[in-house]
Amino acid sequence: MSALLQALRRLLILIASLFAASVLVFLVLAVLPGSPAQVILGTQATPASVAALTAKLGLDKPLWQQYADWVGGLLTGHLGISYISGQPIWAQLSAALQVTVPLILMGLAVGVLIAVPLGMISALRADRPSGALVSALSQVGIAIPTFVGGILLIIVFAVTVHLLPSGGFVTWQQSPVQAFRSLILPAIALGVVEGAILSRFVRASILEVLRSDYYRTARAKGLRPLQALRRHGTRNALIPVVTVFGLEMAGLIVGAIVVENVFTLPGVGTMLLQAVDNRDLLLVQDVVIGVSAVVLLLNFLVDLSYRLLDPRVGSRP
Amino acid sequence: MRRRMLGLALPAVAASLALVAGCSSGSSGSTSTGGSTSGGKGGTLTIGSSVAPPTLDLTANPAAAIDEVFDYNVYQHLVQLDPKGQIVPVLATSYSWSANRKTITFTLRKGVKFSNGDPMTAADVVYSIKRVVAPKSTYPYKALMGTVTSVTKVSSDQVAVTLSQPNNEWLYQFAAYSNGVILDPAAVSKIATQPVGTGPYKYSSEVSNYSITLVKNPDYWGTAPGPSTVVFRYFANSNAENSALQSGQIQVIDNLSNPPDAKQFQGNSAYKIISGPTNGKIQLTLNNTAGPLKNVLVRRAISYAIDKAAIVQTTAAGYGTVIGSDTVPGDPWYSPSYAKVYPYNPGKARQLLTQAGYPHGFNITLTLPPYGYATAAGPLIAANLKSVGINVTIKDIQWPLWLSQVFTNHNFDMTIVDHVEARDIGNYAIPSYYWQYNKTSQVASLLAAGDAAPTQAGQVAKYTQVLKMITADAVNCWLYNPDQITVAKSNIVGLPATGLTESFNLMYASIGGTLSSQAKAQGFAG
Repeated sequence: MSALLQALRRLLILIASLFAASVLVFLVLAVLPGSPAQVILGTQATPASVAALTAKLGLDKPLWQQYADWVGGLLTGHLGISYISGQPIWAQLSAALQVTVPLILMGLAVGVLIAVPLGMISALRADRPSGALVSALSQVGIAIPTFVGGILLIIVFAVTVHLLPSGGFVTWQQSPVQAFRSLILPAIALGVVEGAILSRFVRASILEVLRSDYYRTARAKGLRPLQALRRHGTRNALIPVVTVFGLEMAGLIVGAIVVENVFTLPGVGTMLLQAVDNRDLLLVQDVVIGVSAVVLLLNFLVDLSYRLLDPRVGSRP
Repeated sequence: MRRRMLGLALPAVAASLALVAGCSSGSSGSTSTGGSTSGGKGGTLTIGSSVAPPTLDLTANPAAAIDEVFDYNVYQHLVQLDPKGQIVPVLATSYSWSANRKTITFTLRKGVKFSNGDPMTAADVVYSIKRVVAPKSTYPYKALMGTVTSVTKVSSDQVAVTLSQPNNEWLYQFAAYSNGVILDPAAVSKIATQPVGTGPYKYSSEVSNYSITLVKNPDYWGTAPGPSTVVFRYFANSNAENSALQSGQIQVIDNLSNPPDAKQFQGNSAYKIISGPTNGKIQLTLNNTAGPLKNVLVRRAISYAIDKAAIVQTTAAGYGTVIGSDTVPGDPWYSPSYAKVYPYNPGKARQLLTQAGYPHGFNITLTLPPYGYATAAGPLIAANLKSVGINVTIKDIQWPLWLSQVFTNHNFDMTIVDHVEARDIGNYAIPSYYWQYNKTSQVASLLAAGDAAPTQAGQVAKYTQVLKMITADAVNCWLYNPDQITVAKSNIVGLPATGLTESFNLMYASIGGTLSSQAKAQGFAG
C-alpha cells in the first residue's frame, strides 16, 4: 500500500472517529437530567418563563435538528453563544486556552526534561544502585496524584519560601513575565507525573536497544555507549515512546483540569467544570469535542510519524 | 448561603408590606444621595468570593453572584434597600401612591447619566419596567412584577406604574430584586458583554470564572466612591480563598462559605469579622405527600427530634438564628416565639411517632444538594432522627439534578435547602410548590387579605395567621437563618453589615478613612 493511501485511510478513520465522538457527546449531554432553562432561571421562574427561555435557546427543537445546528455551526467555524453567559463561546474559550495551552506545553517540557535523562540513566545503569534509585524515584513520581503534588509544591514554594505565586493568574496582556511565573508551579505539578510515566518507557525502550544485535555490533566497532545509542538507537527507541506520548497527551489534558483547580487558574478545565455545573450544554459540547479532536489528531500524527521514524512501517504488505 | 437562589417568587397576590407607610396615599421617601466616607480615597479593593457570576446579565439569571457585583454598584434602581433592609430613594427623588393605592408615581432624579454618557430619561425608565413585564420576558423574578397593568411617562421627570390591585409588598420587591434596574435602551443589546448602568462603578473587564473588574464611574451623579478600582476574584476552593486573604492577594472575603473558617481570623487585629443576618431560611423541607410525612404528627415529631441550636453551633459556628417558621428577624412580621414551638425534645418526638402509628419508626431518604450547609447538617439530622427510630438514608446529588428531581418532579422525602429570598412566605400559597402543602388556598386568601389591608398592623396580623398555621402544621422543619460573614483587613471600612440585600453594596467602601454616621445608620460597617 502506498504511503499516501495509508495516510488517507488514517484520515478517514480520524473523520469517522470525530463523527462518532460528536454523536456520543451530544447524546450523553442531551440525556443529562436538568433542563438548562430551569437551571438558568432558578426556582423563582414561572413555567411560562422557563418555556419561553427553552424556546429562545432552541432547546424545544427535535434532537436531530439541535445536533445538525451544532455540527453545522462547528463546520462553518461558529461555536455558538453560551446559554448561560450570553457571550460568544469562542471568546470565552480563546481566553481560557491562553492559560491551558501554555500550561500543557510547559508541563510537557517538564515531563520530557525529566523523562529522557532519568530514563537513560536508569537504563544505562540498570544493574547499578544509582539506576535502581532513579527507577524507584520514577515509581514514586507515578504514584503521587497530581493534586497532592500540586499542594506540596504550593506549601514549599509559595507558602514557605514565597518564591512563586500559590495560585491565580495574571493575563499575558497584563504581564507576560507574571503570567509565565504563575504557570511554573502548575506546570511542574503537571509535568512530574507525566515525566515519571514517560521515563519508564524511555528506560524500557533503551534497555531493549542495549540488548539488540545492532547495538552490540556498534559497540564492537568501537563506539562508546552514548555514541552508539545516539547513532543507532535513538530512532528505534523513540517509536514506543512516541506512541505512549500520544496516549499521554490525553492524560495531560485531564491533568490540566485538576491542576487548574488546585492552582485556581482560569483555564479550559475550570471553564468545563463550571459549564457542567451550570448546564451550559453548548459550551460543554464544544469543549469536549475540541479536546477529543485534539487527542484524535495527535494520535493521527503519531501514526504518521512512525513512517518517518521507521521506514519499515508501511512498506510491509 | 447566598450562592444559589431558591424560592419561587411570590405570586402577585402573596406577600406584601408597605415598609414605607406605603399603604396610605401620598407617602414619599426622603432624598438621600448618600453621604461619603472621609479620607481613604483611591486604591484597588480586591474582594474574594466563592462563585463566579455565570453571566454579566443580571436580568437573565437569578444567581446571587451577579447581583452581588452588579446590582446597586453598576446598575441602580429608582428605589433600593439599604443594608438594614429599608427602602431608600436612589434614581427617584421621591414617590407617592395614589388614593386607591394602585398607582405609584416616581419623580426622577435630574442629571443622571449612564456610564456610556447617555442621559437617563423618563422614557428609559418606562422601557426598563416594560422590559420586565413583557410577555416574552425571561427575567428570573418577573413573577414579582406580575400585577403591573401600565407604565407611563407622566412628564419628563415623572413615571407612573399602575398595579391591578393594591400590593404593599410591590415596592419592596422592586427595590430588592433585579427587576428594578434602570437600563439604557441603547446598550441593552450588549448587556451580556458590556453592562451599562448609572451606578458609582462601571464595568471594566472580566476573566471568565476568575475575576471581574469595576472602575469608578466618572459620570456618577452622586458622591464618588472610595476605591478607584474594585476587583471581585473567585475561588472555587475556600482554603485557597482564606489563604489569599492571609497572603494579601485579596482584602475582603464577602461571605465565608464555610462559617467555621472564621476561627482562623478571630482575635487577630489584622482582620475584622462583620456578621449580620440574611433573608435565608435553611430548612429541612418535608414532602407533605410522601409516606409517613403525610401525617402532621410525624412532621411535628421530626421538628421535635431535631436539635436546631446544635446544628447552628456545629455547622455554622453559631453564625445564625434558630427561626422555627418561614420568617427571619428582618421581616416586619417576625417573632422569636416560633422558635419555641418545637423545642428539642426526643421524648416528645417518640411519643408523637407512637401516636401516629410508627412506634418503631420508619425508613426515609434525605436528598442533599451539594452545598456546605446541607452536607454538613445532613448527618446531624440523620443522627437526631435515628435516636427517635427514624432511619435516614442520605443521598447526595448535583444542583441541576436537585432542580429536576426534587423541585420539579417532587421525587423526594426530605431535603435541606436555603430559601434565600426575602419575604417568600407566598411559596406556601402555591399549590404545586415542591413540599406540596395541602392548605395553599387558605394561605393565598389570607395573604391577599394582608395585601389589601389598609394598615401595616392589619397586614402583619394576616401574615401572622399564615405563619401560625404553617408552623402548627409543621409543613417543614425550619432550622435557622444564616448570617453573612464578611472578613476584611482591618483598614477596610464601609462594607455592608448584613446580607439583607442581594447586592454587596460598595457605595461607601473605602481603604482607610472613617465612615459617616449617616452611612452607619443605614447599616454599613465602620
